[in-house]
Amino acid sequence: MFERTMARRPKEKRADFVEKDNVIIHGVDISGHWNRMHSPREITSYDLSHLEQVTAVPGAESMGWCYQCAKCIGVCPVDNVGNYGPRKLFRLLQTGYDLINSPELWECTTCANCLRVCPKQVDMIKIMPALRAKAVMDGTAPNELQDMFKNASEYGNPMGESPRKRFRWTKDLPEDVAVKDLSKTPEEVDVLWFVGDYYAFHARGNDAAKAMARVFNRLGVNFGTLGNEEWTDGDSQRLAGEPGLFEMMAEHNIEQFSKQTFGKIVTSGPHALNALKNEYPRLGGQYNVEHYTQFLNHHLADLKKLLKNPFPHKVTFHDPCYLGRHNGEYDAPRALLGAVPGLKLNEMYRCKEQGYCCGGGGGGMWLDGFMADHVNMRLSENRVREAVSTGAEVLAVCCPYEVSRFEDAVKSSGNEGKLRVMDIIEILDQSMGG
Amino acid sequence: MKPILVVGGGPAGLVAAAGAAGVGRKVILVEAKDKLGGNPIHNHYSVFTPNQVDAETAMKEILSPVEKNPNVDVRLSTMVTAVEGEAPNLKVTLKGAKGEEKVDVGAAVIATGFEHFDPGRETQVYGYYEYDDVLTLLDAEKMLKAKQFLRPSNGQKPKSVCFIQCVGSRDRQIGNQWCSKVCCGIASQQSIEVKELLPDAKVFIFYIDMRTYGFWEDDIYWKAQEEKKVNYIRGIVTEITKRGDQLVIKGEDTTMGRPMEVPMDVVVLSVGMEPSPGTKAMAKMFNLPLEHHGWIGRAGNSPLNTVSTSRAGVFVAGAAGGPADLEDSTSQGGLAALKAVGYLNGLKA
Repeated sequence: MFERTMARRPKEKRADFVEKDNVIIHGVDISGHWNRMHSPREITSYDLSHLEQVTAVPGAESMGWCYQCAKCIGVCPVDNVGNYGPRKLFRLLQTGYDLINSPELWECTTCANCLRVCPKQVDMIKIMPALRAKAVMDGTAPNELQDMFKNASEYGNPMGESPRKRFRWTKDLPEDVAVKDLSKTPEEVDVLWFVGDYYAFHARGNDAAKAMARVFNRLGVNFGTLGNEEWTDGDSQRLAGEPGLFEMMAEHNIEQFSKQTFGKIVTSGPHALNALKNEYPRLGGQYNVEHYTQFLNHHLADLKKLLKNPFPHKVTFHDPCYLGRHNGEYDAPRALLGAVPGLKLNEMYRCKEQGYCCGGGGGGMWLDGFMADHVNMRLSENRVREAVSTGAEVLAVCCPYEVSRFEDAVKSSGNEGKLRVMDIIEILDQSMGG
Repeated sequence: MKPILVVGGGPAGLVAAAGAAGVGRKVILVEAKDKLGGNPIHNHYSVFTPNQVDAETAMKEILSPVEKNPNVDVRLSTMVTAVEGEAPNLKVTLKGAKGEEKVDVGAAVIATGFEHFDPGRETQVYGYYEYDDVLTLLDAEKMLKAKQFLRPSNGQKPKSVCFIQCVGSRDRQIGNQWCSKVCCGIASQQSIEVKELLPDAKVFIFYIDMRTYGFWEDDIYWKAQEEKKVNYIRGIVTEITKRGDQLVIKGEDTTMGRPMEVPMDVVVLSVGMEPSPGTKAMAKMFNLPLEHHGWIGRAGNSPLNTVSTSRAGVFVAGAAGGPADLEDSTSQGGLAALKAVGYLNGLKA
């Protein structure tokens, strides 16, 4: 059952064998199985030192509570495409596995599906960041993550884009679509829109950002942004094991918020929602925060009047983990989709509380290269296949990570031309006339 | 007014005797040993599950109402050797230190309990009589009561201790197909005590299914795992061998799907319950049918009757009627007293 992870265990008491990808000897395919032939099957000791080390880390205590009911495995998105899951981590630890220095430490996307079903409340959402923080201190985090941390720390965004270009996406908006930069000219607004990195810097994110600007303007929302002074929300850095960097980002944003007068904050992304709503308060930032789907749902009556153009397509919707399981919102995005004339919603079988993770959470957004060695397909590819199977023409999303993730996955899973990926705000915008 | 006979001075019998005496009935309490208290006293129980109260102290709560009670005639070192007639006219022969005596009793409560499975009797695979460091729950209980948990082979503190569950229970080969109900909880409780005495020891429990019903789940099992870092591993050990001066347990770690061969300083066998010799003897003497596992049977086939046998005026309480924990035993003791008194009162009406 654990052959794969066993093969990666420190090679004690055995020589280093060459593992070839394609070897057929006497008609028998033994590709890549060389290690397996030489790894010891028998457990000869229960070395508990790593388990003890892990459960001594503040936040990771519950790693020792697992009683192997295995409910987590049924819903773990990573086990679905690999061999990984909370209850397996516990057993590996019990048999002397060095989790903190293992690839498994980085495979969890903190999607919270395991915690949802865990009778013992083994809390991977606390365990993983706590243990990763240790690995980050030791310098053993995957290179892709270390680059991301460096970018966030130097530029205030994980992509390494120039912070001076954050507001540039507004440049080619027509004049009647105004987006205020409150950092330059402060004024009281009803809504402070936290735009987020992907909306600001990614080409497809720009499309959604512009759509949002148009929708807000048509609705007559009095809103503004922090312009170039917005930094990344920090939640992915926190979950990937950089609590210090999270605090640095959060403190900057809190300081910027303190300079403004606004009614509420509306975020483009569920990760920003989670950070601002659940994590900033302990650093002194207490706000009325909503995800954009929640905000628009509260103005549904006004919105409906503007949704004039039919969108005659079959659509399926992907629940973001950090909007759904982490923050309990399943209805708002569906209410918005339901308000679009002509749109037909086909749900995927893994939806709402049971939604399947796109793989981008908990730092996963920057670990696709690393993960490729440990899963048989990307989580996003798995999800795209499910979306295609519903017969939908459009995969609707409302997390800024997802348009680019799923568009890649549509291509890499061979579904190009079969499925379009659109942010809900793009669909609303289109229905309003674009 | 004829007295009620209670056979067996363990938890069920003590509560039955005190219960009947408490409502004014005369009771003759017969105990084969020279002291009341049953298994908790004679087998040196350390603490009770799940609340970890000291066993000896707790037992005083049910011993003193009997010992100080003028309505209870306690006969120690006494056996029931013959029973004649039917209730309410039972003639019972008691054989004690002063010889034989025939007593007339109106009703009887059989509370002769269980005995612990002897791991040397049917199966030698765990080497109980071969290796000094292989213990039973009973041996461990005595050591834990004395607050000294050491390797019998060398008097050293063990660095690794494991429990093997279901020894003598759930076993068609041995002939004991029942679950003994308490062993999962008792092993977990003992593992907590071992960790309290030896915080550095690595403690393991090898199990098939953990059966810590009711409050024992979190008060004992979860506590052992979460607070005391006891390691529960699914798959009971197949056999024990010895390498040098250390035991080696062999089996499968089933949730890893791997064979296992691990050295262990001390192995505790979680032995289950069997009908005691007294229970078997009383079943014969009182002509009580056994249920199909060989314990004293209840009348009818309903879980709603826990104490009435198929003979009027004769009741069973506690582990004479099957595996029972202390709550079962004392609750049934009280109910048996009530039923016996009710039976006698009903005759008068």
